[in-house]
Amino acid sequence: MSEIARTARGRAVFISLMLLPAVAALGVFMYYPIEETFRLSFMRSSGLGDAAFNGLANYQFLFGNDEFRAGLAHVFLWAFWSLVIQLPLAFFVSYSLILYRNRITKSLRAVYYLANILPSTITAMLGIFVFSNTNGVLAALARKISWTWLAKLDFIGDPTLAFWAVFFVATWMYTGFPIIYLMARMEQIPLEIREAAELDGAGGWRYARAIVLPMISYPLRILAVLMIVGSLKLFDLPYLMTKGGPGDATKTLGIILYNQGFVNWQYGSAAAVGVVIFLLSLVFTIAQFSWQRKGGEAE
Amino acid sequence: MSTLSPGIGGGRQPRGSRVNVPAAIVTIILIVLALAVIVPLFLPLLFVFKTRLEYSYNPWSLPRQIRWDNFVQAWKVIQLGKGMVNTLIVCLGAIACTVPPAACAGYIFARYRSRMTEVIFYVILAGYFVPLQMVLLPLYRMSVGLHLADTLPGVFLPMAAFGISFWTLIYRSFFRSLPCELAEAARIDGAGHWGTFFLIMLPLAGPATVLAVLLVFMSAWSDYLLSLIMISSQALFTMQLRVAQFLNAYGVDHMPRYSAAAIISAAPTLILYILGHRWILRGTLAGALKG
Repeated sequence: MSEIARTARGRAVFISLMLLPAVAALGVFMYYPIEETFRLSFMRSSGLGDAAFNGLANYQFLFGNDEFRAGLAHVFLWAFWSLVIQLPLAFFVSYSLILYRNRITKSLRAVYYLANILPSTITAMLGIFVFSNTNGVLAALARKISWTWLAKLDFIGDPTLAFWAVFFVATWMYTGFPIIYLMARMEQIPLEIREAAELDGAGGWRYARAIVLPMISYPLRILAVLMIVGSLKLFDLPYLMTKGGPGDATKTLGIILYNQGFVNWQYGSAAAVGVVIFLLSLVFTIAQFSWQRKGGEAE
Repeated sequence: MSTLSPGIGGGRQPRGSRVNVPAAIVTIILIVLALAVIVPLFLPLLFVFKTRLEYSYNPWSLPRQIRWDNFVQAWKVIQLGKGMVNTLIVCLGAIACTVPPAACAGYIFARYRSRMTEVIFYVILAGYFVPLQMVLLPLYRMSVGLHLADTLPGVFLPMAAFGISFWTLIYRSFFRSLPCELAEAARIDGAGHWGTFFLIMLPLAGPATVLAVLLVFMSAWSDYLLSLIMISSQALFTMQLRVAQFLNAYGVDHMPRYSAAAIISAAPTLILYILGHRWILRGTLAGALKG
């Protein structure tokens, strides 16, 4: 064998062996299960054995099912309110942190992300603990100042309030990421632009509207996509706080998949929920990539 | 005229640090929001040193004496000790199965670019966007087949597979940022592909590795969903499963003991964050700013 051929082979062996662990891990634990999800979603199967091909029956069942429709509605409601509440809140905090630089705001920076790193079991516990009707912080405080109307509200047990209680806790937990992300993006805006704006008399919040917002429109859209995909994946907080209840009030697609698959052992319909989650995430992720390409050109 | 200078852009301090009203108001709002984040975290401290009776009469008073009973009880009744051992195994397993494959793959994608490796790179990158929730069920069925269900590797292997994509991206950009001359020099010195990687490049990637180990540890420590579906026997329950189990069984009726459990189970990530928040934020953003 010639010297060149040998080094080429050595190089190929090196590349293959270096890629093998990552490729094998993803192949076995991600891509094979994805294929299985699609396959199972067309099967009538419960228990461990496979049953016959079932066509679209699982999907028909899901879309005719009140629980699933409620879950789908919650996912989109959740995404909508995340965009309306969490995104502006994150923009306000991150912009203020940068606009009003002083010793206090500097030390506050790391605080907002703190809740994000807590285990969700702890966050859920704190949430129940604040909102619980029997022993909750809110109820106890309300009783103390004799706001009986507030003390009477059952945030966990009332179908309308439960959604908001969970959403509130999620906002507390998850808004930290958009804050630090937007902050990092805003810090990338060149200093000259700011100085030019200031010379033109666009300081403070006018500067935000006229220059910063347009310049971070692309990161804002990315965050919007992340929030929508996050709603599709939502499981831990509502499951731990309310188990999706009362009734279907806080059911999410994640909870429905879990219940179908691991409580009712209905593999087929659980897999169909998985496919719905996947396809919806795919649509929004592709949207993100097409924006990204445009954003890359603009920058 | 500019009393209010926006500090957007580089790290330069704004000109004129005169106190102005909007700045003061906004700062106060920011402080209130920060308190809203922090205060709930301190609530458990208010209860953890009380007996159950004391708690039901005076939940809001400061503890009259420091008792450690609740910690001891939480450790025993909720069996947090066992849970902690299991969680640590999951963390170590997740680190061992995520970081080395990602480092190797990231190096190849940074330094051995060809059409073939580009294709594989996109296959791995795509994994970053796959929601774990989607595949829970086949994952579980497959684990039963592989005898991984109800074992700790059954938790950390899929966890690693879903983490490798992100860290491959990080390593790839890290290796790309290292000067090419180093690898050239190593090769001239007679180091082969393997030697160059293990002896020269990998040690240089130390910062990326520290970050990866830290963040993989933190997310493995906090995991709930995978442990929930994979683990069914009590002896293998991770810490978060035990805490959740306790929450389900008692709700908030046993607040002091529950607070103790919560403090123990949240402490490691909180301490790591307080010590290394600069790093953690940088690492979290590194992926996001690229992607």
